[in-house]
Amino acid sequence: MTKPFLSIRGIRKSYGSVTAVKNVSMDIAKGEFMTFLGPSGSGKSTTLYILAGFQDPTGGDILLKGQSLLSTPSHKRNIGMVFQRYTLFPHLTVGENVAFPLRIRRRPQAEIAERVKAALKLVRLEGFEDRKPALMSGGQQQRVALARALVYNPPVLLMDEPLSALDKKLREEIQFEIRRIHQETGVTILYVTHDQEEALRLSDRIAVFSQGEIDQIGTGPELYSNPATRFVAGFIGDSNFLDATVVAREGGKAQLSLGNGAMVEGVPLHGPSSANGKASLMLRPERLSLSRASVPSGIAVTVRDITFLGNNIEVSTATAAGVDLAVRLPFGHEAISSLARGEEVWLTFDTASAHAFV
Amino acid sequence: MAVTIATGAVKTKREGTLGYLLPALLLIAFFFIVPVLMLLMRSVLEPEVGLQNYEALLGSTTYLRVFVNTFMVAGVVTIVSIVIGYPVAWLLAIMPEKWSRIVLAIIILSMWTNLLARTYAWMVLLQRTGVINKTLMRLGLIDQPLALVNNLVGVTIGMTYIMLPFVILPLMGVIRTIDPAILRAAALCGAGKMQCFLRVLLPLSLPGIAAGALMVFVMSLGYFVTPALLGGTSNMMLAELVAQFVQSLVNWGMGGAAALVLLVVTLALYAVQLRYFNSARGK
Repeated sequence: MTKPFLSIRGIRKSYGSVTAVKNVSMDIAKGEFMTFLGPSGSGKSTTLYILAGFQDPTGGDILLKGQSLLSTPSHKRNIGMVFQRYTLFPHLTVGENVAFPLRIRRRPQAEIAERVKAALKLVRLEGFEDRKPALMSGGQQQRVALARALVYNPPVLLMDEPLSALDKKLREEIQFEIRRIHQETGVTILYVTHDQEEALRLSDRIAVFSQGEIDQIGTGPELYSNPATRFVAGFIGDSNFLDATVVAREGGKAQLSLGNGAMVEGVPLHGPSSANGKASLMLRPERLSLSRASVPSGIAVTVRDITFLGNNIEVSTATAAGVDLAVRLPFGHEAISSLARGEEVWLTFDTASAHAFV
Repeated sequence: MAVTIATGAVKTKREGTLGYLLPALLLIAFFFIVPVLMLLMRSVLEPEVGLQNYEALLGSTTYLRVFVNTFMVAGVVTIVSIVIGYPVAWLLAIMPEKWSRIVLAIIILSMWTNLLARTYAWMVLLQRTGVINKTLMRLGLIDQPLALVNNLVGVTIGMTYIMLPFVILPLMGVIRTIDPAILRAAALCGAGKMQCFLRVLLPLSLPGIAAGALMVFVMSLGYFVTPALLGGTSNMMLAELVAQFVQSLVNWGMGGAAALVLLVVTLALYAVQLRYFNSARGK
């Protein structure tokens, strides 16, 4: 196996008795777009800050092309970064901002002019050289920040929730730009976000962070179709959870009892291999089907509400035990016409699309 | 302190608020502008109508020396205050709030302590047998006590001490508004500590430096107590000269002329600051 481009090895960070990052390891390939996804306080930003050199890890190492980065101070790491807040230098123009890293590196004037122009062209802000940052929109400022972070061709670009201050429409526009820039430059990007949609849209691979640890690393479809933990299942895509009991298990699949005599077989089971016990059954709303006729293996539920969402319809239901289950059906589904609140229906699902977590 | 009052009036002047400002404007008109105009009148009317007071003031080397002393001391005090005050302001801005509150309280308390008490304290410290000279001699750094008081050195030391809060407070305010993320961004762009300071922190704190410098320079130009107590009889400053004209010589004409020169210089400096630093901040 070849040496990984960027290798994060057993990074830990604690503040006194509080541990922010427990044991984070991953290898990132050259040119890869890796996203750290997780709720706030899950350690994703801390890991990124350790990469940037703003914080020292309590343990572990970071290797870039086989060389440890930890003893190198931030300003010598030659890493690019775009921050959550607007960090353009307010006293400099857009052109001077982008030129800043090159001036620090004492590049010749002609080269600076040429590269600033190319970087602004890359973020589609040609002709904005003489503008002051304060006169630009938030989206434009972040694009300038991106140009400034890329102008010195860093091997790695860090992005710490760079779009969180922007509104939804602008965010999607710039996500598209970031994808294009990633493809054009081939730079390795580490991107931090708490927005699963953003992560899915941008990334080659996603590392899902939870409580200072990585629960799972994989592509979007992998995480969606085969979540390793209940947390990942809940974080990527929409999900319902139903209490269940493991009756039997065989080769990663389980037979589950859902109470009231309902039984399902062949459900992928995740978690430590303790024989029988309590489990959570995860069902995707869009993988559930609804039947008005009684189905023996189905889950009996009562319709609570029906919401029209445009291209699909969400039916909120509840089991006799009071557990809410959302069902998403395509618009025009036959079961929906004349479906009424309070009606008793049966939910069925393909057991291979469900997941159980011990 | 007249300058600070004027600053407040200019900054709060917005359309429709003139009515609320009227009492303040009247106060300034009656107790500041009118007396100044009266003094101006006396400077051109006494002892007879004409500019002879100004000729005497600006034509004589003795008085010119006073002007040079005044500007030199005010300039040195301003520069030293900023050089000492900047790191203090920076520390105050970045230290945890519970600590910065304590340090700030100490600085402000010293401002509230009686000016005479503080100035006499410096006389004790700086005199030939004072703590500073004794310590330096004991350390073997000097053989003879240094002349630290009754001259412009003493005036400069005493005034720098008194002026420090006036640079620290506005500087701290400006430095606190600088987002630390901007300095992190500069670091990742490749800027070391010195580059970060020179290329980012310093330019961004320039409005605070300008505000503090103007305040200190202007206050120093007209300062009386510290030069009178710590200065010598041979090296006078402008405020002392005015006091001498009015109190000892009862020459209101010359006193008025000297005061007016001081006022004109002050207003000119204020105009320069308004022109260059407020417009730069606005854009």
